[in-house]
Amino acid sequence: MSWLTSTVLASPNVRRHWLGRIVIVMCLGQLCLAQELKVPASVTAGDETTISTTGSGKAIFYLSGPGVSSKTEISLGQDVHLRPGDLRNAGDYLAIVCSISCRSTAFYVKAGKPAYLTFLVHPSRVPVVQPDAVSGVVFPFDEFHNLVLETAIVSFRLSAGNLPVLSRSVRVQDGVAWLRTTSGKSAGKLQVVATLDSLSATRTVQQVASDPCNLRIKGQRTPKIVAVETEPVRDCSGNPVPDGTIVTFSVSGDGGKSTVDSPIKQGIARAQIQAPGSLVISAASGAVMGNELHVGAQP
Amino acid sequence: MKGKEVSNRRLGGPPKILTFVALLFVTGTVLRAADSSVGVQLDTRKTGPRVVESQTEQAILRDYRLAWASMAKALEFNTVDPLQGPFVGTARERLIGTVASQRRTGLSSHYGAQTHKLVAVFYAPEGDVMELHDTAEFQLQVMDGGKVVHEEHTIRHYIVLMTPGADRWIIRQLQAVPQF
Amino acid sequence: MKGILPILLLAGTVGLMVLALFASARSSGTVGIAAGSALPGLIPNALTPEQAVSNFLTEVQRRHWDRAYAGLSATSGVDEPSFVQDWTGSNGSLRTLSSLESFDVRPLHASDSVAQMRVHLVWTTPVGTVQDTRDLELAHEGDGWKVVWPTPQIPNTQGQVIPVTYLRWDLISGGSGDAWGTSNVDVPHVRIVSMNAIDSAEGSMVMGEVVNEDTIPAFVNVDATLVDGTGNPIDEESSFDKIAHVLLPKQVSPYRIDFPNFSLKNVKNVRMDVKATLVPASADPVIGVMNQKIDSAQGKSVLHGELLNQSGQTVNIPHVIASFYDNNGKVVWVADGYVDRALLPQSSESFAVEIPNSLAGKVQNFHVVVNQYSPGKS
Repeated sequence: MSWLTSTVLASPNVRRHWLGRIVIVMCLGQLCLAQELKVPASVTAGDETTISTTGSGKAIFYLSGPGVSSKTEISLGQDVHLRPGDLRNAGDYLAIVCSISCRSTAFYVKAGKPAYLTFLVHPSRVPVVQPDAVSGVVFPFDEFHNLVLETAIVSFRLSAGNLPVLSRSVRVQDGVAWLRTTSGKSAGKLQVVATLDSLSATRTVQQVASDPCNLRIKGQRTPKIVAVETEPVRDCSGNPVPDGTIVTFSVSGDGGKSTVDSPIKQGIARAQIQAPGSLVISAASGAVMGNELHVGAQP
Repeated sequence: MKGKEVSNRRLGGPPKILTFVALLFVTGTVLRAADSSVGVQLDTRKTGPRVVESQTEQAILRDYRLAWASMAKALEFNTVDPLQGPFVGTARERLIGTVASQRRTGLSSHYGAQTHKLVAVFYAPEGDVMELHDTAEFQLQVMDGGKVVHEEHTIRHYIVLMTPGADRWIIRQLQAVPQF
Repeated sequence: MKGILPILLLAGTVGLMVLALFASARSSGTVGIAAGSALPGLIPNALTPEQAVSNFLTEVQRRHWDRAYAGLSATSGVDEPSFVQDWTGSNGSLRTLSSLESFDVRPLHASDSVAQMRVHLVWTTPVGTVQDTRDLELAHEGDGWKVVWPTPQIPNTQGQVIPVTYLRWDLISGGSGDAWGTSNVDVPHVRIVSMNAIDSAEGSMVMGEVVNEDTIPAFVNVDATLVDGTGNPIDEESSFDKIAHVLLPKQVSPYRIDFPNFSLKNVKNVRMDVKATLVPASADPVIGVMNQKIDSAQGKSVLHGELLNQSGQTVNIPHVIASFYDNNGKVVWVADGYVDRALLPQSSESFAVEIPNSLAGKVQNFHVVVNQYSPGKS
């Protein structure tokens, strides 16, 4: 006979009592010694490691953790070898050894070195000269998709064409680094690059023209129609407003009101209106109004 | 005489129905308890750079509670169905892996009496990702078949990344750490 | 006693059959129709102008084109195929998907030889009920009255080649396996620029305008939730088809959201939600809205005008949505209507939308947007 101490009760219904913490077990014909578990102080994801056990006899070893739940037969007193694949995921693990009773110990696996960057950049399209319009957020992950929480420095570089626009270094805190900046003056592609050591990620933001500025129209009456068109439509920074943007032409005359929603083509929106008599013509795009045009009656 | 027979028939009537109703009641009670046993608090006072909107705060509380209740159900009954909505990406893959492993080995895990104290430490300028620190307290049991091989009342620390989905916030990364 | 029940059942059946045959094509507004003793299935002779129109429209309703055509005056000058097409529609128009549900006939004036009748037609269509009012001329020929059918106005478009140089946007969807953060196309940026809630006899309505502020097309929908004083939602509705869903860059559309049978008196707040998604689109066709005018006709205020298709493709089902403003520029009403004829290239079709009389006096300005549905096209 021998006495064993168990830290875990085999049945959930057993009442805990301070004497109940010591479970007396009969070992029939065997010398049973209490098993102990010893885990390494620090484990990095993807590393192999060893858990040492004490005691003698057969036992069952359980490993429970993120993405892992294994059960193997072991001999107490020998090391339990954990393969790299067993500890890929960072987080908390439980190593449990059960022979006649069960013992357990917890340990943590931390993330490895950064292997790639998750880089979120917004928006994908931004009007020019908008304050704090462009933002970028970086999360470093190791090769097993664990979030790396170690302190590091991320460099952000913004460039339009070959011209540098902005360069800034940001410390990674709680596994995240971010920046926010104003969009550039010129329409076109804005490249945003985030770099951490030898890793980098690139995103592209399309800078587009802002609202039309100084929308001006001109027109003339021909024998059959009144032909109206805008001057080249640009924003206040001089960027051409993209083709396809709608310009609404409105014509007021004796016959009533006429409107045409015309898309810009090659920088200019055009409309043809059949309306007799004197006319007042105006144009608008979104919430921006243009000038008024007065066209006389057909002579 | 007729009335007696009817009443006799009713008294002697199908006990199976009553058993069924009782089972339904008990099951429903257990499920409600499983969901209502997850308590969540959220602190957004130190969140930046974006301020957490009040509707977002309510949504995070609701969806985080649902996620942990779903995870507990998945790991207790070794089914992946509860994981489909509340989890995505790495978090879902790992939980699915855990369920698959548990099925192979005959193990299961029970998370009971959960309380979660969340602190939102980062909310992206565009509102498309939030990082939270969860100090979670719960009763953990690991079972091999019907036998409990591990039981403890524990406090764990989790780094959580959540992103907005079509109709809810979903957990993308759930990573335990020794401390914050 | 036993024999009475079968007799009653038989009498009731015959009575209902007669009622169905003669009552289906008539409404309470019809006057002067001869009662007649025609056998079921036979149309009585057109002894009066009202009878002639009623007979004529009954045959149209039943799609008995030969008989309907036979009810036309010899002076009509329209061949039967053109006559049939005038009723059934063509070019995938809304009329080709519609059926005449009912009609109402009212006399305008009549003499011994000529008469004018006003008919109010109710069409059942996939987009709901469409109503149409027409004035028909009749002539007394022989021993009866005949309908003088006007020659259909078919657009005479010259054959030509029109290059399509307008912009088109295509959409490429990312794969489901895209890593987090790599797919970087934001949804279009749209904004509600105005909102006005009003009460009416039928319920309450929320209306206003929405603009696509982005540089790409957007598929837009506007929802509204009525909220009571305790912050609880009362009802939630969507704009459905009272909005131009596909908005090109910088395009403005009216919207109207109806809450039937809900009054605003219990509403403390209205929560608006505009949803925009990426959508492939084309800047073609360009449709001009010409000669817009508000007139009073038959006791109603109506905005009417003409849609001019300035492109080279047919618009199968044009849809007109109009916003009406008061002298402060506030949207006081949004009305919509479908044109049941296709809009052929380089041709025009008229449209009309009604303004409630209670609001007509407030209207100082208006803006019309043309939506269009063409099967198989984006």
